[in-house]
Amino acid sequence: MKNTAFRRMVHLGIIFISLHVVLFSQQEVLEPAVGKNGMVSTAHPLATETALRILKEGGNAIDAAVAAAFAIGVVEPDGSGLGGGGCMTIYLKDLNETHYINYYQKAPGLVDEIEYSRKIDKLNAKTALVPGTTAGLITALENYGTLDLSSVTKDAVRYAANGFEIDNTLAGIILDNLEVLQQYKETSDIFLPDGFPLMEGDTLKQSKLANTLKVIAAEGKEGFYDCYIATQIVNAINEAGNKFSLEDLKNYNVKVTDALKGTYRGYEIFSANAPQSGATIIQTMNMLEEIDFKELGHFTESAEVLHLMSEVFLRSYADRYFNVGDPDFSELPLELLTSKSFAKERFLTIDKSKTGEAGYRKTPEGFSIEKEEQGHTTHISIIDKDGNMVSLTQTLGTFFGCGFSVEGILFNSSYANFSSKAEVNKMGAGRQPRSTIAPTIILKDGKPFMCLGTPGGGRIIATLSEIMVNVIDFGMNAEEANQAPRFYCQVNDDFLNLEGRISEPIRAELENKGHHLKLYEDFDLFFGGAQFIIVDWDNHEYFGTADKRRGGMALGY
Amino acid sequence: MRLFKSLTLLMLALTFITTQAQESKKYEGPILVTSAGQSADVKLAGLLLKKQKLEAETITMAKAEDLKGVKTLIVVPGFSSKGLGAAGISADEELKRVQELLKQAAELKIPVVLLHIGGKARRQGQSDNFIKEVAGVSSYMIVVEQGNEDGLFTELAKKQKVKLELVSKIPLAAEPLGKLFK
Repeated sequence: MKNTAFRRMVHLGIIFISLHVVLFSQQEVLEPAVGKNGMVSTAHPLATETALRILKEGGNAIDAAVAAAFAIGVVEPDGSGLGGGGCMTIYLKDLNETHYINYYQKAPGLVDEIEYSRKIDKLNAKTALVPGTTAGLITALENYGTLDLSSVTKDAVRYAANGFEIDNTLAGIILDNLEVLQQYKETSDIFLPDGFPLMEGDTLKQSKLANTLKVIAAEGKEGFYDCYIATQIVNAINEAGNKFSLEDLKNYNVKVTDALKGTYRGYEIFSANAPQSGATIIQTMNMLEEIDFKELGHFTESAEVLHLMSEVFLRSYADRYFNVGDPDFSELPLELLTSKSFAKERFLTIDKSKTGEAGYRKTPEGFSIEKEEQGHTTHISIIDKDGNMVSLTQTLGTFFGCGFSVEGILFNSSYANFSSKAEVNKMGAGRQPRSTIAPTIILKDGKPFMCLGTPGGGRIIATLSEIMVNVIDFGMNAEEANQAPRFYCQVNDDFLNLEGRISEPIRAELENKGHHLKLYEDFDLFFGGAQFIIVDWDNHEYFGTADKRRGGMALGY
Repeated sequence: MRLFKSLTLLMLALTFITTQAQESKKYEGPILVTSAGQSADVKLAGLLLKKQKLEAETITMAKAEDLKGVKTLIVVPGFSSKGLGAAGISADEELKRVQELLKQAAELKIPVVLLHIGGKARRQGQSDNFIKEVAGVSSYMIVVEQGNEDGLFTELAKKQKVKLELVSKIPLAAEPLGKLFK
């Protein structure tokens, strides 16, 4: 009797503990940040705090985004900064307008004269293009912000001058990119003092960068593009093999246009114009609209769905490869690519039972597509109390860019984003190379619904599409949608890349369908670091999430 | 009771002898340095050895046949998706390579030194799989203590009955490494 009662108690205890573990862990991991007046999500807590402070002090979403963008370039120096570029999609609630600011890096005028070898010069100063970050952020502030430049650069200057504690993500990225950081003394002195890398918990100070930021705060765009800093940049980078001119910097111009528009199951999608990849996001979503997710289930539960989605990615990435480039230099069939009829036509070419033979990785001309450089980047999503939203993605091309720095400015490596085979993305003076970055805003019934984006190089399009499906088709909350397993597949990759949490039975079925699988960690930075916000406009509630793959933070108020 | 006491004494003596034997194991060149998990940390191992004026060959993806003539194998565990991507291999292929290498080292009686220098950035997940694999055949471990915050290496060293040298910073790993060969 005593024994039975004891057993019952033990059983009840086990059930209670198990439930507690499950519920507690779900609450801890899968609840988004909540706010009613503003929400910020960035890849670093300090950048998030900066933007939130601006919102609380009465700045709008654009002020906050610009402040966060300057700050993130300091505290996440591997992902973006003054030596890179980016773009942002802006939604102005009262005016019901969306705008797109393209400040991606451009090839210098003498780019043809750079003695560049794709094999040898993968990541060095020759791969840097003329940076656009400073011009882009200041343009956004001047056109749509309310604060002055010194107010929105204050925190960035402080983080650079006083230093900040290196987190686990940055420590890992420093270790992963030793070769890039070892190349140039100014850079290695910052990140590899005495030749060995700074580690988690160490303080990273960037005093030269602090000085440069102070000059920009005082002098505006000219402080970067048309003063002694510009001269220093040109002299130093040319000594390292590049061909910048003072005119390249002085003439750098930001492009402000409408955002590219598409729809998905009645939701309005506004995303990046070419040569960034909003068109491919829209094409992908149009093709995914052909899948009956309600009937077939989620890709973590159905190999058929994962197969179909990966076949969609193969096609949209391939179409992007041959059709997206700098619109100032090529005619682009963007209307066709983003049309529902084209998506349907492309979807019908999918064999539901199997993937193509190895030949599917070949172009129609029969040669293998070269592997594009995998950019790494960072993303910021912000909404203010009035419903204005900014989705901003900026980059150095690859982690720590080309590793070359001058005046504390770490330069990008985006030359490698030009293609040697796809004519539409050929390198040329003044051109912008194609990029997968795609800051996106979604409206539902004309009201704010989502503000999202991610870094992650080639994975950006797949990751954003999966998140939209998670939210729109499966009603996941922001945190659930962000932490759900990810996968990625594209024409120039020999594998279907999966996070380790995709179950074994699903993996086996995928192999049966002819996919070559490559497994990653359960939560792997390879698949990006999405920062996004879901909006319940009718109840005026904002739900933010920062990707646990990348040490970010979402905060609302 | 007397039998129990005798057995306990015998076990203690055996443990002592084994530990002593491990610690007095001879480490000498030629030294081969390799990665387990393809993180770039392996490149730092070369720098640490250089600091101690020790000659070593680094082959990030060393195979069993590379052990020919080698007298000490230093393995730097740490998983990196980027590293594996650059090497064009999967995690499973890398694990298989490491297992075969370590098996061959054991057959040739080449002592294996585990050198973990990546701290917390090279812990958990797949990094731990590689750490455990290497620790299982190591005769000496040098670890930057940030990577041992949860005591994993202490536990592994205890289980393996080998010496664990903890250092507070990466550059300080050079000294115990140097001592091993002097």
